[in-house]
This record gives sequence, C-alpha cells and structure tokens, in this order.
Amino acid sequence: MTSVHQVLSSAGPFDAVGGQALAWQRLLGPDGLAGGLYSDLIDTRARRDFEPIGALRPAADDLLVIRYSAYRSALEALLELPQRKLLVYHNVTPPRYYWRYHPGTAVACAVGEDRLARFAHAARVTTADSAFNARDLERVGAREVRVVPILLDSARLGARGRPPAGGGPLVLVVGRYAPNKRHDLVLAAFAAYQRECAPDARLLCVGAPVTPAYLELVRELARESGARDVELASGLSQADLNAAYAEADVLLSMSEHEGFCVPLLEAFHFGVPVVARPLGAVPEVAGDAALWTAEPGATDEQPDLAVIAELIHLAVTDAELREELRRRAAARLEHFSPERTAEAIREAIGAALA
Amino acid sequence: MSSPEDALERARETAARKRADGRDAGAGLEAVGSRIAAGRPDLEDLSEWALLEVPDDTIYTTRRGGGAIVALKRALLRLLRQYHVELEGRQTRFNSVLLQHLRELEARVARLERAEDEADRASGGE
Repeated sequence: MTSVHQVLSSAGPFDAVGGQALAWQRLLGPDGLAGGLYSDLIDTRARRDFEPIGALRPAADDLLVIRYSAYRSALEALLELPQRKLLVYHNVTPPRYYWRYHPGTAVACAVGEDRLARFAHAARVTTADSAFNARDLERVGAREVRVVPILLDSARLGARGRPPAGGGPLVLVVGRYAPNKRHDLVLAAFAAYQRECAPDARLLCVGAPVTPAYLELVRELARESGARDVELASGLSQADLNAAYAEADVLLSMSEHEGFCVPLLEAFHFGVPVVARPLGAVPEVAGDAALWTAEPGATDEQPDLAVIAELIHLAVTDAELREELRRRAAARLEHFSPERTAEAIREAIGAALA
Repeated sequence: MSSPEDALERARETAARKRADGRDAGAGLEAVGSRIAAGRPDLEDLSEWALLEVPDDTIYTTRRGGGAIVALKRALLRLLRQYHVELEGRQTRFNSVLLQHLRELEARVARLERAEDEADRASGGE
C-alpha cells in the first residue's frame, strides 16, 4: 500500500506550513494514504506530531511530499531518493526582510530562492498555494504548476476561549512577528486611528516571534507610537484566538509579502472585515472582500497612515459596508471551500502517483 | 450604498479634509511606521555586520520552564569562550579585509565612471 510522507524544513506549533501538513494528513487518513510527518527542525511544542527527517524510511512506491519554504540541506538530500516526489511550494520570503533581524533565516531564504529550481525539476508534480507563488515555480522552469490553495480546517475555529479584555473597537492582527509582516506600520496606523477616530480602540497582535529580540523591537515600537491598549500576544491558544476573532471589529494586515495569508480566510469565517495592503498573494485570496490601502497593482511603498486610520474607522462603523464585506467574504470562503481544496489535493497526489 | 470599492476614495477624502483643517492623524508617526526597513543592505550595514558580536539574548527557549536550559546553554558558551573568541576573530578578520577590498573597488569604479563622464563631455564638446 502506498503511503504519502510529508517532509518540512521546520515545524512549529502555529505555522501555516506545519498546519497544512497536519491538514493533509487528516485528509489522506481515510483514503489509507497517510504516511509520516517529518521535519528537519522541530519546535519542542510540535514534537508530538513530527519526527526528525532521519526517521524517514519510505518504501519504494511511496510518495514524498516536500513542503518548501526555506532551504535546508536535509531536504535537498531527499532529492537523491528514488521515490516519486510532489513539491508543495509555500513561498520563500525574500531574504532582504531578514538580513538585519535574523541572519540565519536570511541565509536559508537566499539559498532557498537559489535552489528552488533543483527541487522543482526533481518533482513529478509541483503545486503552489496561490497563483502568486506559482509564478516563482514557473520562473525556475517548473512545468504544469498546479495551484492548490491552503486547506482551511474550519473545525479548529469552533472552540471558544477567553475573549480579550476591554470594550472599545478591537483591531486584530494575526501573523508571525516577522519583518515582512510590518508590525511597525500596524502600530503607527493603529496609533493614528486611536488618536483620530476611536480613543478607546484596542489592538491585539497575535503570533509567534521570529526571535525574542524581534518581539522586543516591536514592543519598543509600540511604546514609541504612544498607542494605548496594545497587547502583543504570542503563544495564544487556538480557542483564545477564536474568541479574539469573534470579538474583533476589523482584521488589519500591513504585510507586504504573503504566499497565501491564512488569517484572511479565518477573518472571513468569523465575518470580520479586513483592511489590508494589496501586496503578494493577499489580493488573490481576499478578492473583492477587503478594503485596500491602495489600488491593487500599486506598490504601496509609503502607505498614508491617516488614510489607513480612516479605512479602519469605516470598517468598524459603517454597518452597510460591513454587511457587504460579510456577504463577499462568504463567497470567498465558498471559493476556498475545504471540499474544493481537498479535491485539488487528491488530484495533485493522484497525478504524482500516476 | 457604501461599497468596498468606494472606501479607499472616501478614506482619502476624509483624511485630506482633516489635513486641511490641521488634523493629520499620521503626523509624528512616520518614523515608527517605517522602522522595519527591508532594503538591500548597503556598505554601512556591511561595516556594522563585519564585526561579529552575538548578543546574549540569542540564547532562548520555547519550552515551559526552560530557564534551566537557557542557563545551561549560557554556561556552555562561557566554557567555550576561548574557542568562540578565536572563531569570531578569524571571521571578523575575513569580513574586514573583504570589506576593505570592496570599498577600494567601489572607489575605483567611481573614479573610472567620473573619468568616463569627463571624456564623454570633452568629446561631445569638440
């Protein structure tokens, strides 16, 4: 019996790549295809689900699903194995974001960009989370790239934990504390919003920091911004995050590089309006269901903080606009429905096994 | 009807009107909002990075009750200090010499470009 083993460069408790490996595992289980989950780097909190790559012992007719988001030499060694391979490209963050803050990650990203072609050519089938990501694969000569979106596991959005404290409008930001997410802009825009439109507004940022020092930098920026009621949370449980989504008035994304952006779909699930920059894969995922800080296609290099503040204010206070955004969000969720995505995953696996 | 397509224009108009009234919500926040730069590293950055200095807070843990592990890692670093000082020294030596070469090359290219510009101007003027 063929097994589908999934291999990652690193696995953490909250990251999208590891989450997708688990979601595929659950999908493939009933089909009898689920193999093991392996990672080169494993956060202590993810050890329950992932094994070290050294433990991988694939049978001759097994399929290796290689999830690619940064370079690790242990992943490249897999290319020498005779088993069939499916490359899932989750995007490599451009290293320019990391040189100043985490040189090791910058190197992994720089080499990751460089070696993508080798991985793409070694795979029978290549998939990308978005058309934005697919363009990277096509650039390195991959043929017949399939777009297989992120499989949204809405079951995990059901549990409710403790809601955030306070009573003013809640601006929610979900994503790693990482340079490409631009928490500096988040804090400046929120401070402008609080100052001009809603003195009792609250900001809740949720995510795992790339390093403790980077989170400290974000805390320093929060102090410098003069904003009040700012909570920079890390390690929030899924139930508490769900409670935050349920209470949020708006999801704010100032990120300038995203290969997909799962929090958009989560916000849509909870009916939370989204204000975002139209960069990376964000316009492709959000479609017409978000308020943009610039015209889609614009580089949006220097966003106007006062305009973002007014956009947040509209998203929070204009009932008619909120209703229209909710209606459109439901259509986007339908577009990314688990059933459709599951079908795309099965087709990709079927093509790789054919 | 309020439409998402109109929202950006509405927000721009409101922000412009408030600015005209002397109220700029973003005033004074530009420095905060542009702190996390992502430009290509320049020679100044390279000069700063050439000298290897790894801060103590690089050592951390994500485990619950991981304080003892961090303390152990720091103790190991102290024990191996002699080795790391030598390693840092060798890498810094390489970085510094390479950077010096790079600076000299940059200066040389600049001189050559200036000379070429002057030659072009001189030939254009004839």
